[in-house]
Amino acid sequence: MGLLSFFDEAFFVVLFGTSLRASTPLLLAALGETYTERSGILNLGIEGIMLSGAFGGFVVALFTESILCGFITGVLIGLVLALITGFLTITLRVNQIVVGLGITIFGSGMTSFLFRILFGTRFPTLPVMATKMRIPLVADIPYFGEAIFNQHLVVYLALALIPTLHILLYWTNFGLKIRAVGENPVSADAAGVNVARVRHICLLLGGMLAGLGGAFLAIGDLSFFVSNMTLGRGFIAIAIVMLGKWNPYWVLLGAILFGVTQSLSSGLQVLGVDVRPEFILMLPYVAVIIALVFIARNTFLPSALGVPYRRGEG
Amino acid sequence: MRWTIFRFLLSGTLLLGPTLVGRSGALETPCGGPLRVAIILPASRADQGWNQQGADSLESLKKKWCLTIEIAENQGYGDIKPVIRDLADKGFNLIIAHASGYQTTAPEVAAEKGVRVVTIENAKAVKPGLVSDIDTEAQGAAYLAGIAAGKVTRAGIVGIVVSAEPPTWNRMSAGFMEGLYSVRPDARLLYNVIGDAAYEDAAGGKRNVEAQIAAGADVIFGQGDGASFGMMSACSENKAKDGGKVWFIDVIGDKRNIDKKGILLTSVLFDYAPIYEQMFINIYIGTFGQEHVLNVANNGVRLMDFHPDVPQYVKDSVENARQGIVSGKIKVSNIPDSTGLKTFRARLFPR
Repeated sequence: MGLLSFFDEAFFVVLFGTSLRASTPLLLAALGETYTERSGILNLGIEGIMLSGAFGGFVVALFTESILCGFITGVLIGLVLALITGFLTITLRVNQIVVGLGITIFGSGMTSFLFRILFGTRFPTLPVMATKMRIPLVADIPYFGEAIFNQHLVVYLALALIPTLHILLYWTNFGLKIRAVGENPVSADAAGVNVARVRHICLLLGGMLAGLGGAFLAIGDLSFFVSNMTLGRGFIAIAIVMLGKWNPYWVLLGAILFGVTQSLSSGLQVLGVDVRPEFILMLPYVAVIIALVFIARNTFLPSALGVPYRRGEG
Repeated sequence: MRWTIFRFLLSGTLLLGPTLVGRSGALETPCGGPLRVAIILPASRADQGWNQQGADSLESLKKKWCLTIEIAENQGYGDIKPVIRDLADKGFNLIIAHASGYQTTAPEVAAEKGVRVVTIENAKAVKPGLVSDIDTEAQGAAYLAGIAAGKVTRAGIVGIVVSAEPPTWNRMSAGFMEGLYSVRPDARLLYNVIGDAAYEDAAGGKRNVEAQIAAGADVIFGQGDGASFGMMSACSENKAKDGGKVWFIDVIGDKRNIDKKGILLTSVLFDYAPIYEQMFINIYIGTFGQEHVLNVANNGVRLMDFHPDVPQYVKDSVENARQGIVSGKIKVSNIPDSTGLKTFRARLFPR
């Protein structure tokens, strides 16, 4: 029973692996929100979309005994809620903050209500399914190998999305259109870009990724649904997007920073670091605030963020 | 003196009243009028823990006392004054504010509206006719859980994970430590707090338990409400360092129906029904406004039946200790504050 070290490999693997897993819902939601905000839409409803995706994904996975069906459901629910958000904010030009908060409140209330209708006071759980995929050779790298390369498929998907979305946003014509409608929709419109369509597409992408993130939380990370289980992750994702300056790579760093400091707070307590738990527990939030102060000081918001657009009124 | 005799007779009538109602069905309500009782819960009443226990305890008395019940769930930990005011305006006779986080707002609205409220862990707020308080002194039952943990741990490393540090949790943590120390003074104790009020943080519960398991713990004592599901999940999905199972000790509710992997060693069960009944009687006889305590001696807190794999000698040790607590031979420390708990932990299990 010797004293445990932070550098004990088994302990390190669990801590780092856990932080990567815990970061994944945040990362997915933040990547989607990056696109949404880049196009000029501030979607504060991703908390509600994540929660709805978590609930829908869990229920379908439970009844079909297929986690794939669960994930697809999470994505579809995100798509539907994003469609509603888009109709209200882009087509009807309702205030984006009001709509976003409305979707969040709807997601919170509706999922708790439906859970009660379906299960009463029972507490169903998914059977433990072998969902991890170990990648040979690289998983044998000391310390980081097992932590990074023995993860859930959705974790790999989230990591693979980063370069894909970065290329799409910065290296393609469509990415240029997204950035244009987020910066100056009038000019983009004049250049022949369909502003509403681009914004709808980005919003749908953001909704699908947030829904997938929520479904991963319920199906991949845990194996059950609890009311309000996202606990503000949607809002943290929005902060991470700002921290990441609307760049997918920086967003990854922001999500990992938050996840690592969260795991670190668990690890430091286990190691018996002699400080008040409150101090350790505030580490993730302090880290994000410090990073915001130093990294995001020179952040320039997309100029048209939150501003509805209608041709002729620009 | 005459008043005392009257109260005695009235108490007897009230105690017999519900029984008569149940048997004859002739009386619709005991002693003239049914009580309208509301309970405010911070989270879902289906959490198989704190919230469900409060709601279930009240509902178990519904028929016997002809109660009209309203369960206001998922009210969070913020300002619940509007909820209490609303319930008071609806004419409820008693409002149970079932969270320590409501201990200041509930008495304020009670004074404002003149409605009877029940607080949790705020004995100072007790006011005759207006505010009663429930103190859960579950440290005795947690002491017994600590003995069980000390007896079944193979590695000698035991973890405690809490979703916050309210007095009830702290008392149980201290009792658990003391019980563990009484049988395994050489054990290593790990202690993790998930968050400031992370009662529903299931992912946080799982993360912290996984960290403790990675550090060698093979018995986890979890206090978390919704977060407990994450803790149980971590114990189910991970093996201890020796390849054996990681035992989980729960609090408040009975989660055996979801324990598919057989990792639930026992649980510190709470039962509020006897105290609620006492409060109803107090309302009828005009003595409402007292401090009530749930403890091992009055069976308000007790250990759930052990997992079938637990050897008899463990059960015997626990039963002996229980008798010692009831008889007063064993005095379990009552430490409600987190600073005191930290000092206590450092004394029993120094690093």
